[in-house]
Formats: sequence, C-alpha cells, structure tokens
Amino acid sequence: MVKEIERAGIPVVHVCTVTPISMTVGANRIVPAIAIPHPLGNPNLDHEEEFKLRRKLVEKALKALETEVDGQTVFEG
Amino acid sequence: MKLELGKIYIKDIKFDDCQRIEDGVLYVSKEELTKIALSDDHLASAEFDIAKPGESVRITPVKDVIEPRVKVEGSGGVFPGWIAKVDTVGSGKTYALKGMAVVTAGPIVGFQEGVIDMTGPGADYTPFSKTINLVMVCKPVEGLKQHAYEKAVRLAGFRVAAAVGELARSLEPDETEVYETCTIKEGLEKYPDLPRVAYVQMLQSQGLLHDTYVYGVDAKQILPTIVSPTEVFDGAIVSGNCVSACDKNPTYVHQNNPVVEELFKQHGKTINFVCHILTNENVFLADKERSSFFTAKICKMLDLDGVIVSEEGFGNPDTDLIMNCKKITAEGIKTVIITDEYAGRDGKSQSLADAHASADAVVTAGNANEVVILPKLDKLIGTLDYINKIAGASETTLREDGTLEVEIQVITGATSEVGFGYLSAR
Repeated sequence: MVKEIERAGIPVVHVCTVTPISMTVGANRIVPAIAIPHPLGNPNLDHEEEFKLRRKLVEKALKALETEVDGQTVFEG
Repeated sequence: MKLELGKIYIKDIKFDDCQRIEDGVLYVSKEELTKIALSDDHLASAEFDIAKPGESVRITPVKDVIEPRVKVEGSGGVFPGWIAKVDTVGSGKTYALKGMAVVTAGPIVGFQEGVIDMTGPGADYTPFSKTINLVMVCKPVEGLKQHAYEKAVRLAGFRVAAAVGELARSLEPDETEVYETCTIKEGLEKYPDLPRVAYVQMLQSQGLLHDTYVYGVDAKQILPTIVSPTEVFDGAIVSGNCVSACDKNPTYVHQNNPVVEELFKQHGKTINFVCHILTNENVFLADKERSSFFTAKICKMLDLDGVIVSEEGFGNPDTDLIMNCKKITAEGIKTVIITDEYAGRDGKSQSLADAHASADAVVTAGNANEVVILPKLDKLIGTLDYINKIAGASETTLREDGTLEVEIQVITGATSEVGFGYLSAR
C-alpha cells in the first residue's frame, strides 16, 4: 500500500514496529512504532503518559513526512 | 550428557477403574484423571474421551498435545519447573509412551486453537491422527480471565500426562535409544575432523496462546541460551501456544523434536552436534535485535561451522528468522533455515514477510494458506462454535452439508517448522 500510494505521487510515512520488514518491502520514510500488539500506544503506561507517547509518535511521523529523503530512511530517536 | 530413552508402545487405551499398562494397553480411570485435572481450582470441569486413528472423529479447539513420559533414573523429573522441581534434566533414563498422546482441548480464546481429524484429508496433514489420543476438554470456573484459564489448562495437561507416564515406571521398555552429547573439549578431541554444528531453535514468545516456556521461564524473558539437546526429551521446553496451529510446536513436538533426533543420528559420523541454542521471537524490535545478536555471538564463541535454525510461527517472526540467518552467516558460519510459507491461497504471494540474500539454504514445510475441504465427521470432541473464526477459516468455512472449507493453517502441526509430519514433496 505504501508503495502504491507513493507511485501515485503522494509521500507516505510507514509507522511500523518491525522496520526491517518495511525496509524489505521498500518504504522510503519509516518511523519505528512501539510493539507488534500495540504499535501506536503502550498499555503499560498510565493514560497521561501514553497520550504523550502517542502525540510524540504522530508528531514524529508528520515531521518525517516533511523531510526530504535520499533513499530509504528510518527516523530513529 | 547421556540419556537412555526407553520406548513403551501403546496399542490401545481403555477406561477402567484400575489404572495400569498391561500388554501394551493403557487403562485409565476417568475418575482418577478428573481428580488430577481438577486439583487446580481454576477449572470447573474436565471431560475425558479417546480418539483413535481412522475413527470418524474431529477434535477442536485443540490447545496442546503431550506425550506421557516418566523419569526413572537421573536428576530431575519430567516438565521441570512445572511438574518436577527445577533441576537439570537430560541424563539418566526416561520412559516414553509411544503411539499415544494427551490432547488438551476447549475454547480458551476459541479462534486461536487448532483442529485434529482422525480420518480423511485432514488426518493426512496432522501427525496427531496417527496417535491414540486421550482427550481432555476443560471448562473454567466462572469469571476466570483468559490468561489464568490458559495456564490452568496447560498445567492440567502436564499433570495428566505425567500421571499417565508414571504408570510405566516399573515396566520394561520395548526398545531403548541412547543419546549422548560431549562437552566442548571432549567433542574437539573426539571428533577433530568433523564439522561443528548446532541447532538454533526459535521459540514463539508473543503473549497469550503465543508463549513457550523453558524450565518454567516464559521464553520472552530469556536471553538466548544453551542447553544439551537431551534436555528437551524430558520436557525442558513446553508449549503455551497454538494459534495458527499448523506451525506451532505442541509440547509433544518439543519432546520429540525431529531436528534434534536427526542431528543425533549424524553426531560422530558426519558432524559433531555441539549443542542446542534456544532463542525467542518477541514483539519489540529491540528484543529481536538483541536476541539475534546474542544468538550469533554464542554461535561464534562456540566456533561453529554450521547451524540449523528453525522458526516457530510466521509473520513478524520471519524477521527474527532473517536476523538470525543474516547475523550468524556474517560470523562466517554456514546457516540453513527451516520455515513454512504464507504464499496466499493461489501460492503466488511472497512466502515470508522478510528476506535476505544470506538465506540461500531454506527448507520449507509447505504453504499454510493451501485450502482443503474437510468432510463432516461422525463425532466431535469439543465444539464447532468457533470454527468460522479460527485463524485460517472464514465466515463460509462451515458449509450447509457440514463439510469445512479451511486453509491447512487450522490443522495442528500441518506445516511443522521442525519437520514433525508425514507429508513431503518427495
């Protein structure tokens, strides 16, 4: 899906836990997620902490979307 | 370590008040077994039945399959950390009841368990259509959470299997096989010219009905470690997983791991079977990286020449598999991987979720998406309530005439990634 949307000219950020698979399938902007059963959150945190985590992840993805890349890039950190 | 494995062949199972094994016939008492199963107050009921090869019987939802064994000499006991206290197993003498199995069934999650058919095309796919099965269907007490229910059924299965195994303690085995490993130094002195080979076994470790245990420890909490390959014959590894049952290893498969057995057959002849390395398949990327780095490091420190890696499951564990392959190969060690495929119903999709050029020696156990029609069978042990939701089924699985259209994914052991099956392409 990532590749097809990009082929249509729209940049895509792939937020995923197992970034090596994303590399293998050919995504260009990759943002590491939390864990396979809960990629966009962490049920071990309390509500407030989890909200912060989720917001950070979305902001990071948006930042990645604006960033020019030269080939496949994983946005660590 | 040296282990003598005595095999006692079971030709039939009958219910009888007096429990014993006589002339190859196992007599078990429903009352006794129920008492053993229900010694855990999380379970409300346990019902026992017998399913024999060739009978028109379907068992579902299947959780685990276990081979009754008893430790008659040497340290520890069967299922260390669960039934026996934690002590190192894998040496001395163990008896196994061959030709039979204890099967635990009942809807824990319902859609994440497996199917065993004792006849028809489904029976060709599962190795447990060839065993006489003592089936236990457990129901939980009201309000019990799924995790506690899973544990209760898992342990009830081990208690029953251990109690049945105990009936063989004073018997003479029909056949005895001897497995012996050397220490590192002994191996180098004894087989200086043979290639040093180890088995890397990846254990499913992703949560409820996706877990495996090593000496009582949840495998998601281990760092990759080394065991003597004889330890698994005493139940050092046990299963808590069965979702997409085709490629999960029930406890029975750990007790009879074909990769271990085959490597032992070559030990001292074509290879020096150095050890058995255990690693996991966790849900965090950092865990996957850490475990594969540790595995590769252990392989290097043991100066191995070759490694066989078996996966358990599919999807994200394909990444663990490829990481192991890539990192072990990078240490200059020849690597063979064993996996299965999810290549779509037409077999045309990419088989694994991940790939790498170093994976140039791959053994496959088949395409789990392959569709089969299973006939309506006369008797059902368990329930068909979840059959349309089970992984590998669809809402049209149960057809009007009572037949089932399913992917072989639903069948316990159909694409075993340690090769525990009877189908091959040869």
